[in-house]
Amino acid sequence: MNIIVGVSDMKASNDPQGTLITYSLGSCIGIAIYDPLVKAGGLLHFMLPESSLDQNKAAVRPFMFANTGIPQLFKAVYALGGEKRRMRVIVVGGSQVLDQKGFFNIGRRNEMAVRKIFHRNNVMIDYQDTGGNSNRTIRLNIENGRTRIQVSGKGEITI
Amino acid sequence: MNDMKAIVEGITRLKPIPKSLQQIMELAKDPDVGMDRLAEAVSQDPVLIANLLKDANSAYYGRSRKFETVNQAVVFLGTAEVFNLVLIAGCRDTLTAAQEGYDLSAGELWRYALSSALLAKAVAVKTNLADRQLVFTAGMVKDIGKLVLSQYVSEKYEEIRGLVDANGYSFREAEKAVLGIDHAELGAMVAQHWRFSPKMIEIIRHHHHPLQCESATFEAGAVYMGDLLCMMLGVGVGADGLSYRFEQQVIELLGLSDTDIQMLLVEFEMQKDRMEGLLEAGLPGSER
Repeated sequence: MNIIVGVSDMKASNDPQGTLITYSLGSCIGIAIYDPLVKAGGLLHFMLPESSLDQNKAAVRPFMFANTGIPQLFKAVYALGGEKRRMRVIVVGGSQVLDQKGFFNIGRRNEMAVRKIFHRNNVMIDYQDTGGNSNRTIRLNIENGRTRIQVSGKGEITI
Repeated sequence: MNDMKAIVEGITRLKPIPKSLQQIMELAKDPDVGMDRLAEAVSQDPVLIANLLKDANSAYYGRSRKFETVNQAVVFLGTAEVFNLVLIAGCRDTLTAAQEGYDLSAGELWRYALSSALLAKAVAVKTNLADRQLVFTAGMVKDIGKLVLSQYVSEKYEEIRGLVDANGYSFREAEKAVLGIDHAELGAMVAQHWRFSPKMIEIIRHHHHPLQCESATFEAGAVYMGDLLCMMLGVGVGADGLSYRFEQQVIELLGLSDTDIQMLLVEFEMQKDRMEGLLEAGLPGSER
């Protein structure tokens, strides 16, 4: 069963029949985490780095931002018995338009926000595919943790 | 260049937009057009009436009491909004088909057109542009050239992809290099064929480099920004992905700050659920 994660959305599952999917990541970032022992995982699709932009909207839609979405992603998988030390972490997305530099490069800023939060919380990234000018779709199979990353116009890899 | 001739001839094979829609777009050029004339024009076309009422009654406007007549919708929503709805109803069929060359399944180009038009209009509002109607309409139809070019992009996809990946071309530049014409130029020719206004034709032609659009630089800038934001969000984006050029001068011209840009994305995201109502009718079997 496909469990769709929209933009600014997060879902966690331990249903062995389930596949978490988020489509078409542009400069947004998708983070898939999976604990192979309890066979539980979660997928977040956030849009912007910092909730300080608008705290009220972040309270309503926490998955819109990295700093409010990432903690909730981990908590949701902990609630299914997952543990941080066993967690496999995959980060994809953060694309940019050609020549998009500096402050307006939201894709790059999203990626830096993830790194900062992970560094502070001792989370290691197992696989990362970020940057470039393509769109990516990510699928996490809950039964075996297999993750498929599809890159627009280029094909697909499985990890 | 035989290809080029065939491509341009393809314009005449495009299913034309409904005549009633053309007439209404003609009316829309007059900023002082009265509600009566608009309601009358819409009422000529039963399909348009049905679609318009369906959209006006969709979740997008969140009204508990339903509109039963075009007149009610025009009075309540105002002429500008009804023009937008007419446009949405008129373009949906034309833009819904799958575009293989761009790896867009059925409905995705339509999703992209509507999302980027709404974002472009939001940019126009934020920057106090007067002609929001022009911006919304141009945002909606700017990729019309893809309908004709898709088949040729599909045939030469590897070559185009190669220039983008290895030589730093934008997707549009690669189309031009390989096929002799790009989707923006071709879109302007379609717009000409359909007798769109000269400003609209220019905006379509320059929607990837709006500073060259002399007759409507700001409006073209807003359309460009709507396109850019939509690419970043990944809504209905195809094989060309984000392979277009970022022009910081456009942001400076429009006077947009980094916070403005992020807030445009946030506000779009907050109203996205309502937008589904406007999209639905054009999305057969979409899983999204």
